[in-house]
Amino acid sequence: MSNAFVISQSDKRPIYLQIMEQIKQRVAIGDWTEGQAIPSIRQLAVDLQVSVITVKRAYLELEREGVIVTQQGKGSRISPNPGLGIRLQQQELQKHLEQAIRLSALLGIQPEELEGRLREANDNVAAKEQK
Amino acid sequence: MKGSVVQALILTDWHRHRLHILLCLVCGGLALALIQVGGELPTIFGATVFFVGLIVLGSMLPVSNVINERKKQTLPFLMSLPLSVTQYTAAKIVSTVGMFLVPWLTLVVAAVSFIATHPVIPDGFIPAILIAAIFTFVGFCVIAGVALVSESEGATIAATIGSNSLYGFGWYLLIRNPAIRADMSSPVIVWSREVLTILGIEIAVIALILGLTFYLQSRKRDFI
Amino acid sequence: MTDLAIQLNAVMKKYRYFTLDNIDLQLPAGQIMGLIGPNGAGKSTTIRILLGLIHQDQGDVQVLGHRMPAEQVAAKWDIGFASEDMRLYEGMTLDWHMSFIRSIYPKWDAAYSQLLLKRFGLRAQQKIKGFSHGQRVKATLLLVLARRPQLLVLDEPTTGLDPVARHEILRELTAVMTDEGRSILFSSHNTQDVEQISDQITFIDRGRIIDSMDKEAYLDRWRRLRLEAPSGIELPALPGIINIRQTGRLAVATANAFVPDLANAYENTGARVQSVENMTLEEIFVANVEHSREEVEV
Repeated sequence: MSNAFVISQSDKRPIYLQIMEQIKQRVAIGDWTEGQAIPSIRQLAVDLQVSVITVKRAYLELEREGVIVTQQGKGSRISPNPGLGIRLQQQELQKHLEQAIRLSALLGIQPEELEGRLREANDNVAAKEQK
Repeated sequence: MKGSVVQALILTDWHRHRLHILLCLVCGGLALALIQVGGELPTIFGATVFFVGLIVLGSMLPVSNVINERKKQTLPFLMSLPLSVTQYTAAKIVSTVGMFLVPWLTLVVAAVSFIATHPVIPDGFIPAILIAAIFTFVGFCVIAGVALVSESEGATIAATIGSNSLYGFGWYLLIRNPAIRADMSSPVIVWSREVLTILGIEIAVIALILGLTFYLQSRKRDFI
Repeated sequence: MTDLAIQLNAVMKKYRYFTLDNIDLQLPAGQIMGLIGPNGAGKSTTIRILLGLIHQDQGDVQVLGHRMPAEQVAAKWDIGFASEDMRLYEGMTLDWHMSFIRSIYPKWDAAYSQLLLKRFGLRAQQKIKGFSHGQRVKATLLLVLARRPQLLVLDEPTTGLDPVARHEILRELTAVMTDEGRSILFSSHNTQDVEQISDQITFIDRGRIIDSMDKEAYLDRWRRLRLEAPSGIELPALPGIINIRQTGRLAVATANAFVPDLANAYENTGARVQSVENMTLEEIFVANVEHSREEVEV
């Protein structure tokens, strides 16, 4: 289950953030559904070969964000919150949009031009999917 | 539980030195065979092979069984086991001295049985031989003790050379004693007071050396 | 109340050219502690004191509830120790060593030992002298791991190993954590390994402990700030910054007590904060040692 997690050494971000991101991604794309049990902190630590304290931190943050729920003695599960997947997907989208805006600023691209490029990209994707 | 770790260590040492022990037995057997064959040359040759073999093989033991643990860096491995310094010392003394006993006992038995079965040497020689043999045993205990306490190959070699050099001198001192010299020519064994006193002193010295070794070992505060 | 697997209290050991001074160390049960420091810092000495192989001059040492060095025999039943300068008997086979350990320790897990042979790629019938360096290290660790000891004390377990072997070892070390009651203390030069698997990090340099704390909290305290100073101004080292280097208008500040406000504080001095970066443990290591040595000199 957690074998598909990959912690990258070259990724500059702290490991706990990488773990959080990968869990949120799984929920966003629907691999992990609301209410589903997830590996215990110790189990995930062993599977990923990282320290327990790092996984603990990731789980605490995820709980604070409402993504997971931990019950004493019963382990952790994805928050049984309807619409969680959708909400995380929205967060992903927002992140990508903000990144696009930051990159545009660096390149000196104005918001109007950015809009145009967005439509262009949309057409490209639609064309590819039709094939 | 604790006793068995010491036991395991002793058996391990003997197992690792099994070729060494076998060589001592072969050497002794060869010498005995030569002596049984009879005749002057084979006897002298046999006795020399045997005695030299004893000295050489015996001298190698403290270095290969004790010093090498530090040289080959296996000591941390042993001390990671549930073992105190005192228990380690005990195991090493028993295993090292035990291995020495193989050639030593063979020598003593061979010498005593030769004297007892051949009239050319009077039986009165036997107590003197025993004293001399135990003297080499005392020397060996000194070497083993020095090896354990000094942790130094150089010191051990010095002790070995020193002890071996003293055997001749010890024999000389022994036969200078008129009472003992007289009893040596007797056709029967005489356990005189002098002989018994000297034997007693030798055994006391062995106990002292071993006791001192244990004491000095236990005082070490930086064992590894 | 947490059980402490290891507790050192004001431990002192004096040698002619080196003193281990005022060592306070605690490892709660069920955790991994990484001990890092430059060569000669005192890592090996500290570890040997833990095992009772060296007697401290002052201070208390408790390992798994046993006072050391007095109770070292009792403690060593539950401790697995391997160090970089430890060797096995080269004339004997790995199989012989496994039988030897098995004859002493009742908790030897034969099935696990066979699994480790396979995972580590070792041939039990081979004599130790035929092993490569990496194979020998793995063999030594196999003998320690298969006993499933309550506490593992490892002095440089991955030093000199190729990346595959290192990975194999880390896998087994983290697997130990499945059991909440088992703990590990290991020293290493490999900051990547320490950063990855440690719960607690202890920094030691020149016989003194510089830092000892929770790894996540520790990594969070350190940041590198890249700053652009207004022309002609030399940026100050604000509280929380241990080091600031400026050439021309660009400066790099190293923070060891970072709070988000620190970036704002620099903005208030007129500087532009280009980026706030996390630091790897290796970078922290070097910055920390340099800083602590400067402090001592002052």
